[in-house]
Amino acid sequence: MGRRRFLALSASGAAAGASALSGCALQVAGAATGDGESVTVMAKLDDIAPELIQQAQKELGIRITVVQDDITRLIAMLTSGNPPDLVRGVGALDAPFYAARGVAEDLDPYFAKSTVLRVEDLDPVNDLWRYDGTAQGKGPRYGMAKDFSQDSMYWYNTAQFDRAGVDYPAETEPITYEEWLEKAERLVERKNGQTTVYGGSYNGVNIVILLTNLVAAAGGNIFSEDFTRVDFTTPEARRALTWYVDYARARVGPSLIQPNPDAWDGPTYVANRMAMSGSGYWLGGMINAEPKIAEVSRLAPAPVFGGGPRLSSCQAGTGMWMPKKARNKDAAWRVFEWFFGEGPAKARAAGGWGIPTLKSLRPLMPRKEEYQQRVLRVQEAELKHFSVTPFTPYTKWDALEALLNQVMPAAMNGRISVDTLAGRLNSSVNEQLKRGKEQVG
Amino acid sequence: MTVSQIPEAVRRPRPATRTGAIRSGNLPRTSMTARRHRAFYLFTSPWIIGFLLLTVGPMAYALWLSFTTFDGISPHWSFVGFANYRELLSDPVTWDSLSRAGVFALTSVPLSIVAGLGLAVLVNRPIRARGLWRTLLYLPAVVPPVGAGLVFKTLFNRDSGAANGVLNLAGIDAVAWLDDPYARYVILMAVLWGAGNVMIISLAGLQDVPRELHEAARIDGASAWRTFRSITVPLLSPVLLFQAVTGMIASVQTIMPLLIAPNPTPAGVTAIPQTNYMYMMHVFAEYFALGRYGYASALLWVLFVLILIATGLIFKLTSGVVFYNVDPEAKK
Repeated sequence: MGRRRFLALSASGAAAGASALSGCALQVAGAATGDGESVTVMAKLDDIAPELIQQAQKELGIRITVVQDDITRLIAMLTSGNPPDLVRGVGALDAPFYAARGVAEDLDPYFAKSTVLRVEDLDPVNDLWRYDGTAQGKGPRYGMAKDFSQDSMYWYNTAQFDRAGVDYPAETEPITYEEWLEKAERLVERKNGQTTVYGGSYNGVNIVILLTNLVAAAGGNIFSEDFTRVDFTTPEARRALTWYVDYARARVGPSLIQPNPDAWDGPTYVANRMAMSGSGYWLGGMINAEPKIAEVSRLAPAPVFGGGPRLSSCQAGTGMWMPKKARNKDAAWRVFEWFFGEGPAKARAAGGWGIPTLKSLRPLMPRKEEYQQRVLRVQEAELKHFSVTPFTPYTKWDALEALLNQVMPAAMNGRISVDTLAGRLNSSVNEQLKRGKEQVG
Repeated sequence: MTVSQIPEAVRRPRPATRTGAIRSGNLPRTSMTARRHRAFYLFTSPWIIGFLLLTVGPMAYALWLSFTTFDGISPHWSFVGFANYRELLSDPVTWDSLSRAGVFALTSVPLSIVAGLGLAVLVNRPIRARGLWRTLLYLPAVVPPVGAGLVFKTLFNRDSGAANGVLNLAGIDAVAWLDDPYARYVILMAVLWGAGNVMIISLAGLQDVPRELHEAARIDGASAWRTFRSITVPLLSPVLLFQAVTGMIASVQTIMPLLIAPNPTPAGVTAIPQTNYMYMMHVFAEYFALGRYGYASALLWVLFVLILIATGLIFKLTSGVVFYNVDPEAKK
C-alpha cells in the first residue's frame, strides 16, 4: 500500500472516528424515542425524569434528550458550536456570566408572544435572570427560575430542641446570627470525637453566595459598584467572615473542615442527625415526604446581624437558559413553556419543592396538613423581606468558590487570622475578576 | 514456531498475482514485502488513527491553547506567547504541588512494587487454594478508581467511617483521616490496596524464571533469600523497571485525592487537604474552576516534558542493573 493511499484511508478512518466520537459525546440517560422535533436539554437527571420525557413526547410531540449538567461538557459543546437547546443554571450566579459573554439568547421576544408564561404572571424572582450589560435585575430576560426559596431561612427539629432543653426560635421575628450559633453549640451531640448530631448547618447554596449575602446582612457589599473588584476588609465583610469562620471552628455543623458524609443537609436532617438546617422552603419537598419528621419540623426567618438590615435573600433561582446558538429554538421554547408553566411546574409547586415562579401557581403550594399550614404562614410572612444580591458577571461562581475554598480552611483551623484571610481573598479574587473583565471586554 | 522454522517454500517470493483493482495495461506486482506492508498498515491503522485523533491531536490543541488566554467561553481571548510558561515558573502553587506529586511518586511506587512483589512471591508458592488467593488479591485492582475513591471516602469519614468505628471499639477517639496530616496516608493506603496490579505482572515474571537456576542454587547450598536476591530479582529486573516507569508516570498524574475529596467538583478541588494537593489537582482547578485553559495547558505540557526527562533518567540510572535475558543471537 502506498503512503498516499494509507494516508487517504487514515483520513477517512479519522472522519468516521470523529463522527462516532461526536455521537459518544451525547450519550445520555432518559432519551425518548420517536419522530418529530428533538430538543437537547442539559440538566440534572432528576430535573427531567424519564416519565417527564415520555410526557413531553406525548403532550408536545417533541423528543427530549437529557445531557447531564456539567460545566466542562457545556463549555465543550459551546466551543464546538453544538450547544444544548436549553441549559440548567443558577439565576443568581450564572445569568450575568453567560449574558455578558453573549452566549445566552434574549428571551424577551418569546415571553412577549407566550400565553403560558405571561410577563405579568412572573414572580419578581425571575428578574435574577435579567441583565442589561452592567447590572443584574434589569434588561432582557435570559432565562427563568423553575422555583425559588429564601435560602437564608432555616428549618429546625423541635424534638432535638426539646431533648437539649433549648428554646425554639420565634416564627415571625428573626434571631441574630450569634444567637443561632449559640443554639447550635447547645444542640450539637458528640461521642468519642465524632459528631453524632449536628447542632446546625449554615453553608448556603454555596459559600460564595452565602458570604455575599452575609455581608449584605451586615449592611455592606463585597463587590464594587461596577463588579470588577471585591473588598473583604470592610467592617461588614470582616463581620460576616468572622461569623462564618467561628461557625466552622465551633464544629457544630458541616463545613470545609468537617464535611458532611451525606454531602448535603437533606438526608442528614430527615435522619434526625441535624437540629437546624440553613435551607429555604424547598427542603420542605423532602421533609413532607417523611411525615414523622415533618410533624416536628418548623421553618424560621433568616437570622440578622445586630444593627444590620433585615434581609431574606434568594441565593439561587435555579432554572434554565437558552444558548444563542441553539439549533431548535422554537421547539426549545415550547419545552421551556411546558417545563416552567404547565404540568411539571404544577407538580413541583404541589410537592413543596420551592415557591412557584408564576404567581398563578401559588395556590398549589401544600397546605393540607397543619404543619404545612404553619410552614406556609412563616414563608408568606418572610416574603415581605425578600431580597436578592447582584453578582459579578466577570467570573463563574465556581472560580470564586474555588478561591475561597483554597484559603478558608487555614482560617477555620486557626492557622491564619480573619484579617489575613480577608487580605488573601482580596488578592486572589481581584486577580480572577481582572482576568474576567479583560475577557468580557 | 519461530521465523527460522518457516518453510523455505513459504518465504520464497511468489510470482505476481492479479488483485481486485486492475487497470488495463498496468498490472501491479504484489510482492511479499508489499503484502507484509499492507498487512502491517491494516493491523496498526486503528491504533495509528486513534493515536492521531486522541493523542497527537489533543496534544497539539493543548500546545496551541498554552499560548493563549482562552477560557472556553469568552469572546476576547488573545495570544500571549510564552507568558503562561513564564507565569508557571514563578507560581509557588505549581512548584509546591509538583514537589508533593514527586514525593508521592517516590513513596508510593517503591511501596507498591515491594508489596506487589511480596504478594507475587507468596502466591507463587504451592499453597492451598492458590488460584483463589490470586483472585482475591488481584480483585481490588479491577475496581475502577472512582469506586475505590468512594470506598475509601466512606471508610475513613470521621463521623461515620468504619476506620473510626474500630478505633472507638478500642477506646480511641475518632481521627479526621481525610484531613491533614492523615489524608496523605489514606491515599497511600488506596495505592497499596491496588497492589494486585503489580502482583499479577510480577507473578508472570516469576513464572518465567527458569526452575533449573533455582535448583542449581539450592544444590550449591544458597539460602532462600540469597536465591531470591541473586537469581529472582535480577531476572525480574526488566519487569520491575517497567513497573517503576509506568508507576512513576501514573503516580505523578494521580487524581485519587480528588476522588476521596468531600466535594469532587471544580469548585471543591481546592478544598483538598494541603498535603494531597498534587500537580493534577492544580491543573484541574486551573482548567475547570478558574477557566484558565491556556495556563492549565501550559502546566500539562511542562508535566509531559518532565515525565519524559524522568523516564530517560530512570532508564539511564538503571542501565547497569537491569538484566535483559535475551538470546544474543536474536538481537542480530
